[in-house]
Amino acid sequence: MITYDAIVIGSGITGGWAAKELTEKGLRTLVVERGRNVVHRKDYITEHKPVWEFPLRNARLSVGTKGAEAYPIQARTSQFRESNKHFFMPDRKNPYVEEKPFTWIQGDQVGGKSLIWGRQVYRWSDLDFEANLRDGHGVDWPIRYADIAPWYSYVERFIGVSGEKLGLPHLPDGEFQPPMEMNAGEKFVKAGIEKVFPDRHVTVGRVAILTQRIGDRLPCHYCGPCERGCSTGSYFSSQASTLPAAQATGRLTIVPDSVVHSVLYDAATNRVTGVRVVDAKTKATREYYARLVFVCASALGTARILLNSTSTRFPNGLANSSGVLGHYLMDHHFLAGASGHIDGLLDRYYQGNRPNGIYIPRFRNLGDDASRRDYMRGFGYQGGASRGGWGRGGGQVGFGIELKRRLQEPGGWTFNMTGFGECLPREDNFAALSDQTDEFGMPVLRIHCTWGDNELGMRKDMAASAAQMLEAAGCKDVRTHDANKVDALGAEPGLGIHEMGTARMGRDPKTSVLNAYNQAHDVPNLFVTDGACMTSSSCVNPSITYMALTARACDHAVAEMKRGNV
Amino acid sequence: MIHDDRITRREALAQVALLLGTAISTPTLAAALDAGAGDAWRSPLGWVPRTLSPDQLELVAVMADHIIPATDTPGARGAGVHRFVDALLTDHYPADDRQRFLAGLGDVDARARSRQSKRFSECTPVEQVAMLKEMDEAAYSPGGDLSERPPETWFFRRLKEVTLVGYYTSDIGASRELRVNPMGLFRGDIPFPPSGGREWS
Repeated sequence: MITYDAIVIGSGITGGWAAKELTEKGLRTLVVERGRNVVHRKDYITEHKPVWEFPLRNARLSVGTKGAEAYPIQARTSQFRESNKHFFMPDRKNPYVEEKPFTWIQGDQVGGKSLIWGRQVYRWSDLDFEANLRDGHGVDWPIRYADIAPWYSYVERFIGVSGEKLGLPHLPDGEFQPPMEMNAGEKFVKAGIEKVFPDRHVTVGRVAILTQRIGDRLPCHYCGPCERGCSTGSYFSSQASTLPAAQATGRLTIVPDSVVHSVLYDAATNRVTGVRVVDAKTKATREYYARLVFVCASALGTARILLNSTSTRFPNGLANSSGVLGHYLMDHHFLAGASGHIDGLLDRYYQGNRPNGIYIPRFRNLGDDASRRDYMRGFGYQGGASRGGWGRGGGQVGFGIELKRRLQEPGGWTFNMTGFGECLPREDNFAALSDQTDEFGMPVLRIHCTWGDNELGMRKDMAASAAQMLEAAGCKDVRTHDANKVDALGAEPGLGIHEMGTARMGRDPKTSVLNAYNQAHDVPNLFVTDGACMTSSSCVNPSITYMALTARACDHAVAEMKRGNV
Repeated sequence: MIHDDRITRREALAQVALLLGTAISTPTLAAALDAGAGDAWRSPLGWVPRTLSPDQLELVAVMADHIIPATDTPGARGAGVHRFVDALLTDHYPADDRQRFLAGLGDVDARARSRQSKRFSECTPVEQVAMLKEMDEAAYSPGGDLSERPPETWFFRRLKEVTLVGYYTSDIGASRELRVNPMGLFRGDIPFPPSGGREWS
């Protein structure tokens, strides 16, 4: 019998954090990862590879193209390219039933999606933690900003976050390294927007990318495509940050290629006792045992494992006496915004590939009358300015020497911005087990998720307000966009890759799965700290909140263990 | 302007190829250029197209080289755009797009036959440019839905697009015609010279 103090399911953003915290607190910890091993540096096989060395020149492998054949779902995200397809999961390995258009992007490896994430990190505020209570959607969060603020600081200091302090109550400042610089086009738009709308702010993105060294992690060298992996560890990934810290304790074991089938439960003690695993290569089944189990398998992966962990006590899924497990699935809706041209500034340019853009914090429904709209909650914008590249020639008449000369110089400036909007928690957005099984004998999920009237109404404002601000800033040819299509692909749920909410935290065990410490109400030694735990979605990128909740939950779990309660 | 005699040689050879039309197959030409022109033709010896016929490959090379001709840097042919197009058609394009592109190549020859009673590759450069100009103007004429335009509209836009991608993502296009954005520092807001500056590839 192989026994550990703790088992962590998943090695992505939250699994890595759980591994670091638990091992540093003295627990012999096993991390079980369904995907292959990815070794820091050695397995970043396309890092710094010149574009001309890719047979397809780093083509975007869109759905239907050869090269994307094994990835009909993964290919829906524009992140999926020739240079990083090896960091996505071939869809046959974890198929699902799509009752409504829903895109489930999966990073199938040690490090999970921490290798390919967007790296934008924003703290929540009480505007977010109180949202459900205020408007009655979902259940109340069992925590407030004061509960998590010190953990944000703890996480920021470790992962390294560069950004600018703004002093906004609804987007709290953190422990920031110096911000990256804006370019001339962004400075122009910032000045224009802030002049006409004094309550709105344009800032450079707050990112988990170093501008100052932390230990052996070096400041960003601005090569550009973070999503190929970073040998200097300049952006936060499990490989660069948390797993080495866990490894350094001598108490970490990682088993890749191990698909967790279910969590083992003992009704006599009302404790989970370990996990059942299917070997991804041999399909053999084995079990690992521990006193504590952290499920960090991604919002949908976690829901699937728990739903598949049935017993007499929990016939509908482990720790699911409430019946809400799998429900209240959320994602951020995006791809609604505007773009415009900037006249002039042709004597300004930039050097280096900044893996970051600008951010416009939420300015709607902040509790004041002036910003209130006919929908609830709000959105922020991400975007940036750039000068036209050679690709513009494909949309213009002309060829020959004249075209070649024209494309030798950068084109004019364009500013583009898209909103990221909050999604309300709704019971009828859910993932459940279907009657089909995958190659590991596990029932696959069927996912039913749609945008509601509130999201659709907000999108109109996301596009219109973007255009209004760009016009106010003096941009020309301002055009709005909204990629969403009814019951079709475009800006469907899941595409934001911020899926969350399937095992929500709450005060009442009858209406939530987890308590204020991410501990299952029903089973004291079971913790869920990935996106599944989220009670509402805010409009900001969620990963740093998952990290802070994970560190906080580990602290609580070990304290409870020492008290003999788990 | 820096004079590069390798380019002169390459241009001369390209001109020969143009004059000879399909009499000299492109793989052979590639090998000939490889022998004398160093890095210009980074194609392994023995490279053969997998989708395009030798005639089609030559047709793509001729048209691409009119779209991005050699100047003080090599043009599309020198950068091997035609080989990239063959790779795209073989390893990336869905079957219907591939068929559409190949049909587009056939239409180009049909146009040349109706105008000049020759295949496109056999026409003089002046005749070729005149036909490409017709296609270019039709493809980018203002107004109207793209989907309602004649098929050659789609083809020419696609041809120009893959030529630009193939050229500016080649070593020659990215690092000689343009400049590779160096890694190291990020400088967000720097002066750009009023003339002679080159964009980052």
